Amino acid sequence: MDSLRLGTYTFSSRLILGTGKFSSTSAMIEAVRASGTQLVTVALRRFNREQAEDDLFGPLSAIEGLTLMPNTSGAATAREAVKAAHISRELSGSPFIKVEIHPNPHHLMPDPIETYEACKILAAEGFIVMPYIPADPVLAKRLEEVGCSSVMPLGSAIGSGQGLSTAEMVKLIIRESNIPVIVDAGLRSPSEACAAMEMGCDAVLVNSAVAVARDPAAMARSFAKAVVAGFEAREAGLMPRSGAAVATSPLTSFLGAAS
Amino acid sequence: MSTIGITLNGERKEVPAGASVADLLNSVGAESQNVAVVVNEHIVRPDARASVLLQENDQVEILVFAGGG
Amino acid sequence: MSSLPAWLTDSRLSEDIEPLLRQEDSESLERLAAEAQAVTLRRFGRIISLYAPLYLSNFCSSGCVYCGFASDRKSPRRKLDASEIEKELLAMKALGIGDVLLLTGERTAAVGFDYLRRAVEVAARHMPRVVVEAFPMSVVEYRGLAECGCTGITIYQETYDPENYRDLHRWGPKQDFHERLETPERVLTGGIRSVGIGALLGLSEPVGEALALLRHARYLCKTYWKAGVSVSFPRIRPQEGGFQPNFTVSDRFLARMIFAFRIGLPDIDLVLSTRESPAFRDGMAGLGITRMSIASRTTVGGYVEADATSASQFEVCDDRSAEAFCAALRAKNLDPVFKNWDAAYNNPLAAEELA
Repeated sequence: MDSLRLGTYTFSSRLILGTGKFSSTSAMIEAVRASGTQLVTVALRRFNREQAEDDLFGPLSAIEGLTLMPNTSGAATAREAVKAAHISRELSGSPFIKVEIHPNPHHLMPDPIETYEACKILAAEGFIVMPYIPADPVLAKRLEEVGCSSVMPLGSAIGSGQGLSTAEMVKLIIRESNIPVIVDAGLRSPSEACAAMEMGCDAVLVNSAVAVARDPAAMARSFAKAVVAGFEAREAGLMPRSGAAVATSPLTSFLGAAS
Repeated sequence: MSTIGITLNGERKEVPAGASVADLLNSVGAESQNVAVVVNEHIVRPDARASVLLQENDQVEILVFAGGG
Repeated sequence: MSSLPAWLTDSRLSEDIEPLLRQEDSESLERLAAEAQAVTLRRFGRIISLYAPLYLSNFCSSGCVYCGFASDRKSPRRKLDASEIEKELLAMKALGIGDVLLLTGERTAAVGFDYLRRAVEVAARHMPRVVVEAFPMSVVEYRGLAECGCTGITIYQETYDPENYRDLHRWGPKQDFHERLETPERVLTGGIRSVGIGALLGLSEPVGEALALLRHARYLCKTYWKAGVSVSFPRIRPQEGGFQPNFTVSDRFLARMIFAFRIGLPDIDLVLSTRESPAFRDGMAGLGITRMSIASRTTVGGYVEADATSASQFEVCDDRSAEAFCAALRAKNLDPVFKNWDAAYNNPLAAEELA
């Protein structure tokens, strides 16, 4: 399978996982391993003595071939996101940063303006910048222009499981983009991940759908298969959609018989 | 022993005067963890933690990675 | 010969449309027409935007085998001076025209950049949209035109087949395939808001041309994402000099190509000129075509008084008046317009705003 190129890194898996909402760190690690993913995102939080055993950095670092992509979740401004990025790079050594700035704690929609400002700074500093954005085609091009390595438009609100409600906008983004387009947030089922890949996405990021499944590891495996299926189907050449039903008075009669 | 007041992870805390960042990590049980330390907006790298001494009113953050999407 | 740009040979840029172009049956043609109609209606409503060409001169330094203006053709040469241009524009306005395409041949001593810029200045005083179809220019020259009120440039590659291109352009500045290919990018870099591209259908194998043209349009849209891109479908017509095209492009193939382009490029203007017959134009309006020329004179000037003496670039097939053509469109429940409400937004893109 063609590799996914992000910055200077190449990945054979096109499924990216989030690490939140799992019932335990061990459940999360098991799901990560089961999925075959090579890129996972993690958040920063304050150290807490009581939760010290829950450290996931250690177990994640032990997974071979896995790259960490810290995110800036919690930041409400570009300044906070940039700060979080610096701390994350310090802690992980990874050049990846998922710029995630959602000032509204209810719907968790990303702030396009703060995201743009943060990405401009971080791209110039050499990060592999992966912005989480509303599915806005113009914003996507502007982020490409300032040096982002991908754009990550949301499928629907984080954790909402509403699937690819932004499909038409994502298609516009894919049509115009010169960098990988990765649908992130809102995917509920493997078939939706498959559909995203068939549509032309370069990868998908899934978190809640795996974390809250009854059997997260099995769900992770299923998502992995779906992503491969969707990607391979697209590469194999999907049958074109047939047009609208034939009108009762032919539109092409003015062209006469075959000539 | 005299103490100084700092803010650690958003909460007010008293620490011994002359304490280093490394001492602080020890006192909260973070010495063997992978943590990031930020003092007054400056990242303090592991090799500097023994020599950076805390001052009155320092804002300290000790951060780790956690699960997140 | 330096290598071809990646987009030109990237089959992935056209793979969704290629099967549609290769089908040959009537049933698929009808289905494509219906889909093209649906896409056009959704995106453009019933609007057909109209423009008229004004040939400023027929001087030409090139030797294009297929053109009535080629420099070895023996026919009187003329060029309009500024006051003649003004008179022609007023005559056009009296006919109801509000959107002009200024044309010249390739660069000559008589007709160069300065002449063209002056013409644009005059035209911009009378017409809210001034599009120019002339010789390839530099980025600096395009910026100069943009600042004088030029709102668009049309430049056809003629053929995307480099070998054929070489054979067809016997001498003159138009010989350089790559320079011509890169022209649309210089146009947009120079701050002109929109560019029109096309291939002269019949010069080379039609499906190959269609694929190259589609890739060109998609590449420009992706790279110059703030610019307008339009595609025209000029098909070789008989003209003085008797050039016979290598390939016959049937009405059905041309229709299929337009349907496929509408489906593959749902947002851009697709343009049909008066080279085509009234029946074809009326039939295609609303099935993908969203912009058409009217009341065309393809001799120099020709709106103030008909010019019977000088050469025409091609024979006009649809010579209906603006009124008659608009009536035909309205009879099909289409809405012909001369777009003039965004004159305020036609200013050139400043250098720092460019993609």
